[in-house]
Amino acid sequence: MPEPAFEDMNPLTDEDFRMAVRRFVEENYPDIPRYSQRRLHWHENRPWYEILARRGWLCPNWPPEYGGMGLSATKQLIMVEEYERYGCARVNDIGIVMLGPLLIRYGTQAQKDFFLPRIISGEHVWAQGYSEPNAGSDLAAVRTEAVLAGEEWVINGQKTWTTLGSDANWIFILARTDKTVKKQAGISFLLVPMTNKGVSVRTIRNLELHDEFCEVFFDDVRIARDHLVGDVNSGWTMAKALLGHERVFIGSPRLSSNALVRLRLMAQRMDVWDDPAFRDRYTRLQLDLADLAALFETYVEKLRRGEPIGPDVTILKIFQSELYQRISELMLEIAGETAGYVEPLDGDPRLHAAATYLMARPTTIFGGSSEIMRNVLCKSVLGLPSA
Amino acid sequence: MPNDDEVGENIRMIVDSARSVVPPDGDLSRIRSLRFEARGFDPSIYRTMAEMGWLALRLPDEAGGLGLGMREYCALAEVLGAGLTPEPLISAALACRLLGCSVPKNVLAGERVVLAAWQDGPSDLQWRRGVTLDEGTATGGKQFVPMAAGAGAFAIPTQDGVAVVDAAAAGLELDLRATQDGGQAGQLRLSATAIELTVRPADVDAALDEATLATAAYLLGLAGRAFEITREYLVVRKQFGHPIGSFQALQHRAADMKIQIELTRASVAAAAAAFDGEADPRMRPVRASQAKARASETALLVAREAIQMHGAIGYTDECDIGLYVRKAMTVANTFGTAACHRRRYASLTSEPAAI
Ligand SMILES: Cc1cc2nc3c(=O)[nH]c(=O)nc-3n(C[C@H](O)[C@H](O)[C@H](O)COP(=O)(O)OP(=O)(O)OC[C@H]3O[C@@H](n4cnc5c(N)ncnc54)[C@H](O)[C@@H]3O)c2cc1C
Repeated sequence: MPEPAFEDMNPLTDEDFRMAVRRFVEENYPDIPRYSQRRLHWHENRPWYEILARRGWLCPNWPPEYGGMGLSATKQLIMVEEYERYGCARVNDIGIVMLGPLLIRYGTQAQKDFFLPRIISGEHVWAQGYSEPNAGSDLAAVRTEAVLAGEEWVINGQKTWTTLGSDANWIFILARTDKTVKKQAGISFLLVPMTNKGVSVRTIRNLELHDEFCEVFFDDVRIARDHLVGDVNSGWTMAKALLGHERVFIGSPRLSSNALVRLRLMAQRMDVWDDPAFRDRYTRLQLDLADLAALFETYVEKLRRGEPIGPDVTILKIFQSELYQRISELMLEIAGETAGYVEPLDGDPRLHAAATYLMARPTTIFGGSSEIMRNVLCKSVLGLPSA
Repeated sequence: MPNDDEVGENIRMIVDSARSVVPPDGDLSRIRSLRFEARGFDPSIYRTMAEMGWLALRLPDEAGGLGLGMREYCALAEVLGAGLTPEPLISAALACRLLGCSVPKNVLAGERVVLAAWQDGPSDLQWRRGVTLDEGTATGGKQFVPMAAGAGAFAIPTQDGVAVVDAAAAGLELDLRATQDGGQAGQLRLSATAIELTVRPADVDAALDEATLATAAYLLGLAGRAFEITREYLVVRKQFGHPIGSFQALQHRAADMKIQIELTRASVAAAAAAFDGEADPRMRPVRASQAKARASETALLVAREAIQMHGAIGYTDECDIGLYVRKAMTVANTFGTAACHRRRYASLTSEPAAI
């Protein structure tokens, strides 16, 4: 695929940029579902991924020298709003949102040159291999082990809850490389081709009855020695830096604003839109969303300037995920008996209280649960003593 | 009114017999296997329930009923809720209650499933306008009949009496919507559908209040069991070298859930006592609304917290807690949403004469 020429969108006025995105989406969105209430799989969303890549818009958050847009925070938000407005499918974005920024910051030149273009071309589809059955909130307890044997790492163990793991052909993992030191100090960050011998994947049905997440097993899997990012045993620091990115991403008002639109549509459908008691609750959520967007922009701006994301990002992560849930709960409430429906009302995927409610549940669990986020906030931001 | 000892003994017996339907060890494999299957429930279990007299629990002796009170009915519904029992007992018992002395023998015996199709629209308790009767036929629409796929007939309350129509009658259209619990909600359209039987106007509102209260008890059972499963998980799941139940952030929220469950229990019990006792009958809808408003909210609170406290495993279909969540989503808004009952409570209690 030829590299698209970099086009700096930052000089456009916000309004012109919005119109450019809107037009682009309307003219180019492929024949795949809109307003889908589940994550589409790679074989479904790939056309859209490739269209974005061809336009040079796949990685708004990356700097231009690596094929990104280097886009301002405000414009990134506008872009997201326009995608949501049209109901564009979310693509397999783990490479874009998580691994890319990590490699840009910590990767060797060779790693950047090899991996970044392959994320953009879609040749590499990434999964995040952090969690294990006994290392969830206590992520530093990972037991999947990597041992250096000559020029190769040999990996054994298991990851779980791997989102869209069955779509991916590469996975980045946290692996134990030293058992003799404090648990955080013996973890390395490795890049593993899932096509290698010894990797197996089992899909898990989630509460929405979709096969979205997976277990990934490693049985004497061998990878090249240089598929290590950063130094040996420095994985924890980098993983934490990456979690900062993930938390900014989850903190995006995208999910809540999407849900708020659905709430309004449902309220109109169920005839409560003009009920003052409802409208007051709706407006409260709307203001929460507006303030969330303001807070979110400050974090995106930090990312763009390459500043580190501190522990206060927990504020963003907690507030967005819980706002999303509160919106979904009100939607469930006003949907009446249709709250229990498996299919949307009137065949409109946006009129689907149960799906919105269920989809909102795990946002307070993944990327650091709300409880862990509050613990971090109390300890690292407020400086409160531990028990 | 029977004395408290008698009621206590009745409750012990009925809860005991419920064990034949709801396994005491909490096993949910039966519930799982029925999900999204043709009927969503098991007709032979339904018959067993009928044989134990549960459909006619609220009917007097002379109608072939057990003549039991709401306290007994709520105790039973609580056990059924704890076991996520999919057989549509509340809706079938409501149908029998509407038909009173005219309820056919094969219906009471559970050979023919007759479900109440009473609801005009979403979220509330309106039943008066949906269907009208004319010269032996019924015309109109009814909504949200749970487990309607398994119904042989529907009992439809109208202003001119309760009409029974066969599910296969000409001019009856049944549109089924799959529900999160693995059952379905039936939308009924009738156009000059022949009526099998009409029963003179019954006290439909009173019957609906009883079903509402029984639904609150079902939700209480559901919430109680979901809470217990979650409490057990807090004890066994370890992170950071400690049971997660040792973290105060979770402890306090577990305490909050317990508070809501006990309030729900008290509210349901007080309402049931108001139905059974000599208190002013005008207090019954007030109490039913009070109990249902709380039970709906408690069930959804526990559902949310249960997923959160289980972490990712709570978000899988393999984990039983999800069955409780999906049932709560399906049932919490039936027989009036919490908001509907708060509104009704407010309007019934704001007029001094109603108290
Ligand atoms: C939909 C979904 C997608 C996911 N995708 C991925 C993925 O792609 N890759 C990946 O690696 N992981 C993924 N995860 C896993 C996610 O990161 C973990 O679920 C998360 O870290 C929590 O771990 P756990 O599920 O084991 O819960 P646990 O850690 O067992 O937590 C259970 C409960 O205990 C609470 N708790 C734990 N410790 C404390 C404490 N010290 N104080 C107070 N409360 C505490 C938690 O907050 C939670 O409420 C995904 C999860 C979900 C639900």
